[in-house]
Amino acid sequence: MSLSRLCYLRASNQILKYLSTSTSLEKNVFNIARTITSTSQSNAQSAAKAVHKPDWNRAVSEAEKIVGYPTSFLSLRWLLSDEIANVALHLRKLVGSNHPLLKTAKNLIYDGKSNMQAWGLIVLLVSKAAGHAPDIPEMEQDKSAGVLHSQRALAEVTEMIRTSHLIHQGLVNLQTLANSGNELSADSEMIFGNKIALLGGDYLLGNACLQLAGLRNQELIELISSAVRDLAESNFIGDRDEQNNALPSDPAMKINATFDENLDELSSTRGIDMSLVLGHPEREWSFRHTLSSGSLLGKSCQGTLKLAGQPITFQKQGYLFGKHLALAWQASMDLEPFRMSEIPHNVSFSLVSAPVLYHLDYDPSLYNEIKKGFHSVENIDYGKIHEVVRNGPGIDQTKELQRKHSQAAMTVLDKFPATDARTALQNIILAMQCL
Amino acid sequence: MKCLVFYLYLQATCTSSAAISQNSTRDYSSVHTQQPAGPIREYKIDPYILLEDELKYVFEDIRQELHQGTNQQELIQIAEYYFDGQGKALRPMVTMLMGKAINYHMHRENSPQIVNAQRKIAMIAEMIHSASLIHDDVIDQSFSRRGKPSVNVIWNHKKVTQAGDYVLAIASIMLSRLKHDEVTLMLSQVLNDLVQGEFMQLGAKETENERFSHYFTKTYRKTASLIANSLKAAATISGADAPLVETAFQYGKNLGLAFQFVDDLLDFVSSSETMGKPAAADLKLGLATAPVLFACEKYPELNPMIMRRFKEPGDVEKAYELVHKSQGLEQTRFLARKHCLEAIKLANKLAESPYQKGLTDIMDLVLNRMK
Repeated sequence: MSLSRLCYLRASNQILKYLSTSTSLEKNVFNIARTITSTSQSNAQSAAKAVHKPDWNRAVSEAEKIVGYPTSFLSLRWLLSDEIANVALHLRKLVGSNHPLLKTAKNLIYDGKSNMQAWGLIVLLVSKAAGHAPDIPEMEQDKSAGVLHSQRALAEVTEMIRTSHLIHQGLVNLQTLANSGNELSADSEMIFGNKIALLGGDYLLGNACLQLAGLRNQELIELISSAVRDLAESNFIGDRDEQNNALPSDPAMKINATFDENLDELSSTRGIDMSLVLGHPEREWSFRHTLSSGSLLGKSCQGTLKLAGQPITFQKQGYLFGKHLALAWQASMDLEPFRMSEIPHNVSFSLVSAPVLYHLDYDPSLYNEIKKGFHSVENIDYGKIHEVVRNGPGIDQTKELQRKHSQAAMTVLDKFPATDARTALQNIILAMQCL
Repeated sequence: MKCLVFYLYLQATCTSSAAISQNSTRDYSSVHTQQPAGPIREYKIDPYILLEDELKYVFEDIRQELHQGTNQQELIQIAEYYFDGQGKALRPMVTMLMGKAINYHMHRENSPQIVNAQRKIAMIAEMIHSASLIHDDVIDQSFSRRGKPSVNVIWNHKKVTQAGDYVLAIASIMLSRLKHDEVTLMLSQVLNDLVQGEFMQLGAKETENERFSHYFTKTYRKTASLIANSLKAAATISGADAPLVETAFQYGKNLGLAFQFVDDLLDFVSSSETMGKPAAADLKLGLATAPVLFACEKYPELNPMIMRRFKEPGDVEKAYELVHKSQGLEQTRFLARKHCLEAIKLANKLAESPYQKGLTDIMDLVLNRMK
C-alpha cells in the first residue's frame, strides 16, 4: 500500500470519527435535497394537494429523528470510498451523453418518495418498534437510537441491494447493436455507461453480501439472498420491449380460477402457475411488485426481527408488514401520474401500474394501444392512455388497492407495542395515502 | 463400517496406491489412476479422473439449483448457459483436490459429510466465476465464449445483467445453507475482490513503478482471490487449523496468479499461432498485462501507449510487435513458473495422498496449457 493511500485512509477515518459524533453535516445535505424535491413536486401537484393532509416530508424527517440518523448509503462513509469516488469521476464523463445511468443517479439522490433512504428508515423503525429479546448483550445495542448495531447494518444492506438493483435496471440493451455488426466505437459512450452501471451495481451488491456475512446469521443471509433472487426474477415477468420495459399482459389471457396470492417468504416462485397470474389485474400487479419491492422490504423487516431474537411468528408478521407497506407505497406511486389532468409531453409512466392494469380489465380494447409498444414503448401514445385511464374506473380501484395494503400494514402494527417508532410508521402510512 | 475401516487401513499403509475404491462406483477412477507397478512418483495424476465422482455431476447439480429458484424460463436459460459442461471446471476441480488432500492430511479419511460440503463450495466457486463471466460479457461486448456465442449476443443485456445477479443470489443461498460463518465471509470477500479488480482495470494512470504492483493486485483480485478463498473454505470446513488453512489459501493464490499469467501470455501466443494474425484481445481492451509491462522495460516507447490504453491507430499492432521482439513472453512464463513452484512447495507440506500428488501434478496443466 502506498504512503499516499495510507494518509488518505487515515484522513477518511478521522472524518468518519467526526461524522459519527456529529451528523449535522449529513442532515443538511439531505434537507437540501429534500427541499429541492419538495419544491419541484409542489409545482407539479399544487392543484392536487389539500392543506390539512398529513405531510410526507414531515412524517419522514420526524421518523428519522426517532432512530438517530438516516441510514442512507449516501452517508459520507460511502462518498469517501475509493470505488464510489471512482464511479462519480466516471459519471462526469457521461454528462452530455444520453445514458440513463445519469437519470438513475439523479433519481436516487433527489426523488423524495422512492429514494432508497426511506427503505432503510422503515427497517430501523420496525426494529425500534419491535424491540429486542432481553438476552442481547449491551455491547450490541445502539442505546441512543434504540436499535441494535446489527439492525442498522441490515438497514444499510437493504438500501445497498435496492440501489444496486435500480442501477442494474438502468443499463441500456445494446444487443441490437452487437447483432447488426455496427462499429462499436460509435457508441462508446453507451458501452462505457453500461460498464459503470454494471460495476457500480456489482460493487454495492458485493458490499451488501460482505456486510451481511459479517452479521454471522446464516438464516438471515438465506432470507436476504432470496430477496436478491426475487429482484432479479422480477425483470423477467410478462412481455417486454427491447429495452426490457414491462408491458401488461393481454387481458384476454385472464383465467378466473381460484389462486392463493400469498407468495411464501422464502420458497421460490417455481410452483406458481403463471397462467393464473398474467392478465388478471390485481394478481399480475401484486405478483410483479411483490418480486420487485415487497419481497426485499418484507424480508428485511422479517430479518431485523430475527436479529432481535423475536419469535418466528412475530418475524412472519414483520414480513407481512414490509410487504404490504411496499405494495401500498407502489400503489401510491402508480397513482401519481394520474393526479395531473394531462401529462407533459415526453413524460411516461409505468404501463404495468395498477390504474392501467385495472383499465385493461375494464376495457380490453386499450390493449390495442399497448401492442404498439412491443418493439419499443416509445411507440405508445402515453397521452391517450393517460386520458382513457383517468376517465375510467382504474383510479378508484387503485385507491382501493392502496387502502387495502395500507390497512393490512396497519393491522400488523396493532400487534406492536405503542411506541414513538410505531406512531412514526403509522404516520408514514397515513402520509403515503395522501401523496 | 467394516468397509470404511478397511479403506482407512489401506490408505494408511499403502502409500503407493493412487486411489483405492471406497465403494463400487469409485472403481472406474482407480482403473485409470492406479498403475500396476512402480512407485507413485513415476506417473502423473489426472485430477479429472481422480475426482470423477465429485465432478461428474457438478454442472448438472448447479443447473438443478438454478431451476429450483424460479419459474421464469428465459431467466433459467440465460443463467444456465455457461453451465453446459464445456468449461474446464478448473475451480471445482482444484477445490475438491485441496479439500480431499486436507481431509486426508487431517483425518486420514474423506468423510462423506465433509466431502459433500466441500463439493457445495466447489459448485459455489464455479457459480461465482460464471456470474462474473456473464457480467464481463456485457461489459466487454464479447462475441463468443467457449466456442459459442456469448450471452450478450443472444439475450437482452438488461436481462443478462439480472441473470448474473440471479446466479449470485442462488449461490449465496447455497452458501448460507452450509451454515458456516467463516466460509460465508471468505466467499463474500471474493465478490468484493472481483469488483475491485474490475475497477482497477478501468484506469491505467499509475507511474511505471506502481504498474507492476497494480497489475499483481488486480490479478489477485480478479482471478486468484476466488481460487484461494475457495480452497481456504474447503480446508476450513474440514476443520483444518490456522496454518493449514493458510497453506491452502497460499497454494490457491499462487496457482491463481500462475494461471492468469499464463492466460495473459497465451493472449499473445496462441492467437498468432492458431489464427495467423495478432488477436491480442487484452491490448484491444486497453489492458497492459505482464508481457507488455516486461517489454516496456526494454522499449520505453510502450509507455505512452500504455497510458493512452492503445487507443491510437497502430498502437495494438506496434505493442504486439514489441512484445514479441522483447523478452516479455519468456519473463512472463518465468514468473508463472515461479508461482507454480511456490504452490508445489506448499502442497508438499501436506501428507502424501493421491490428492496431494494431484495438487503438484496439475501445475503441468497450468503451465503447459494451450488456451
